[in-house]
Amino acid sequence: MEPVDNDDPKSVDEKIDSAQVDDDQELVLPRDADKAPFNAADDAPAGQDDRGDVAWNFLTDVLREMQMEVTVHRRKPREDSGPDEIRLEIVGHDAGRVIGKKGQVLAALQYLVSRVVNKPGQPRRHVVLDAEGYRERRDASLATMAKRLGQQAAQEGKIITFEPMNPRDRRVVHLALAQFADVVTRSDGEGEDRRVRIIPVRK
Amino acid sequence: MTLKELIATIAKGLVDHPDQVSVREIESDNNALIELRVAREDIGKVIGRDGRTAQAMRTVLTAASSKLGRRSHLDILD
Repeated sequence: MEPVDNDDPKSVDEKIDSAQVDDDQELVLPRDADKAPFNAADDAPAGQDDRGDVAWNFLTDVLREMQMEVTVHRRKPREDSGPDEIRLEIVGHDAGRVIGKKGQVLAALQYLVSRVVNKPGQPRRHVVLDAEGYRERRDASLATMAKRLGQQAAQEGKIITFEPMNPRDRRVVHLALAQFADVVTRSDGEGEDRRVRIIPVRK
Repeated sequence: MTLKELIATIAKGLVDHPDQVSVREIESDNNALIELRVAREDIGKVIGRDGRTAQAMRTVLTAASSKLGRRSHLDILD
């Protein structure tokens, strides 16, 4: 059997570097005021993370131009993620519009923020946008499903292949099964047709 | 207009030469045609691999337009 080079699920989609983001400050989206809306009551380290600031500023500007009544919060990276993750959460009256059908608008915004933050020649920073907990809820159900299918793959000794998914969703599956000793996960196929396979490990 | 500014804001974040981003908005009734021009070497940055960046801009533009009760179309000119 060919060795499966898949012990690090992060390498499949996104490379994580080790920059530090340790703030969890609340940031208020001004309607037309200039930037610097850092909440004084929670003045943890603004300015410690330039690329996190770039992400927040860009998203804030775009949402303002979209005339969305929302605020953007800076969140700590998730525990199952690298410490370099830039995580922003959008809350407020127009959060539903910002999410869009099937999360399409949120996904588009996240993609654009990631393009702005990740210019060539820099270590890649993972960018996650959420709105009113939408992605978190969705990721949680996808991870639950992945674990169930992981058990099934291990029990039945067969490879289970997912529908094509975007990099973000594939990553959720890889991470959900990273601790499963009985299976490995890998992505195959190109572009829109890329899918995750859960492969039982022979003992 | 705001849709024009939206596209300009996004494009300026993406490119290496934000000073060379120009956006024109052509309006008719409830429709808007947004024309985006960037420096020649930045065209790839606003289109993206398999057109993904352009698609993301269109998705965001559509969401902003619908809030205004309008429709809009983005053209990237080279």
